[in-house]
Amino acid sequence: MIANLRVVRTAFVLDIKQQAVDLFMIFGVVIQPLLIATMAIYMLKGQDISRGIYVVVGSGMTGLWTSLLFRGTFGINAERFMGTLEGIVASPTSLGTVVIGKTLASVSVSLLSMLCSYAVAALVFRLPLTIAQPVPFFASLVITMLAFISFGLLISPLMAVNLSLTGWVNALEYPMYILGGFLFPILLLPGWTNPVSYLLAPYWAARALHLTSSGVATVPDVLLCWAMMLLLGGAYIAISYRLFTVVLRRARVDATLSLM
Amino acid sequence: MKRFSNSVRIFFSGAVLSYKALFRWFRLEPYLATKVIAPLNQIMFFTLLGTFATGPDTASFYAIGNAIQLTAMSGIYGVTMSIGGERNEGTLIYLFGSPANRLLTFLGRSLVHILDGMLGVIMGLIWAGLLLGVDYSKADLPLLALTILITTVSTAGFGLLMGCLSLVTVNVMFINNTVYFLLLVFSGANVPLANFPVWVQRAAHLLPLTRGIQAARQVIAGASFVEVAPLLAGEILIGMCYVATGYLLFSWFEMLAKRRGTLEAF
Repeated sequence: MIANLRVVRTAFVLDIKQQAVDLFMIFGVVIQPLLIATMAIYMLKGQDISRGIYVVVGSGMTGLWTSLLFRGTFGINAERFMGTLEGIVASPTSLGTVVIGKTLASVSVSLLSMLCSYAVAALVFRLPLTIAQPVPFFASLVITMLAFISFGLLISPLMAVNLSLTGWVNALEYPMYILGGFLFPILLLPGWTNPVSYLLAPYWAARALHLTSSGVATVPDVLLCWAMMLLLGGAYIAISYRLFTVVLRRARVDATLSLM
Repeated sequence: MKRFSNSVRIFFSGAVLSYKALFRWFRLEPYLATKVIAPLNQIMFFTLLGTFATGPDTASFYAIGNAIQLTAMSGIYGVTMSIGGERNEGTLIYLFGSPANRLLTFLGRSLVHILDGMLGVIMGLIWAGLLLGVDYSKADLPLLALTILITTVSTAGFGLLMGCLSLVTVNVMFINNTVYFLLLVFSGANVPLANFPVWVQRAAHLLPLTRGIQAARQVIAGASFVEVAPLLAGEILIGMCYVATGYLLFSWFEMLAKRRGTLEAF
């Protein structure tokens, strides 16, 4: 257990260092959410300024998702491209443990999105930003992180098993912004898309964070969001466990892991 | 005469080869994902965001703005990477060592991306009509096509300038992503220019796309050529300024790199 935690910590620290010099991630985590927030604030010009906190939370969620999607997609594949995957797979520590550390790093760094959006909205645009229900909000944020990590654990092996899926990564960014209700409620979408949203932990995360930051959350609402995040997170982990088995089989039995 | 025909041949073969080189990964699936589905997602997201912010009657504003802005996908990413790719792939040294006409070589890098960009815009407008109810019944379609062509060419001109910057930086994708998103915010695709402070409005008018998007909205609403001519003329002028600046930089970087022996230095 302690050895595994040490691996998680090492993977976490290494990934943070890699992200710190990765301009693509800096764009995804800081610049893109800031520009989305700026755009939304100008769109709302002359209207209800109390929606400022909604914009901050929503644009922060876009950074979380973008980071998770791209880091998750290339989490295992980057090791493959660099030729380090076989070494990791052959080591006594499980591949999943390494990916947990990497995903934890990407989710932690992407919290910067929300912080930066908050700072810009408050300091540059002088919007009155208050988190109406801070305790439930920060509790929701912690559960959001857990849900996103479990989603990342699903994405990484999925993309490693199906390399052709990586070609779709650019096309997967906006659908989550839309279906997750990050910057507008999913009520704007056709009804048939709603069940898809309900299967996505990021949707419940956005819902919990919006409700608690705007101060309209009731206890049952928040508990439902938390329960769904934990439930879906558990389901993602169960599926990812199976996918990691496939990745390891390809590495150890079929010897096709590094083949493109 | 032979010199002229050689230049034309180099222009077209350079254009096709640079496009092929950029899309060497070209297969139907990634093409569909990048050029069909991703643009649709962009249009849907920003139109829904805009209508949530300002009301359902404004859907056309956002749908048209984003459909036209899609030209930046080819004009910025495609053109920039075609030029930057020469250095990454180690072909820059041969390009600069050849006696080929530099201006035609430079402009040729944008040709296929202009066609591809126009196709992308047309696809975006079709999506906007089918899914978001944009009405083209009042539009003068040849004039709309001319507007798309001019906007695409001026955006590609901007891409040529960005492409030159890619010759002196390693992080070309960072520049591309930032420029693409700046255009999304400040070209008027998603925010009416009047919502910005005056200095931002002035800066927005120095960007490609700003006038083209305005013109496209007016043409779709039924405006005639005379009404949009000043906007189109402004868009052409902006595009030419970017091409000229880009070419000057291209020539300057060539001279500098040759003198310092840093053609392939990163």
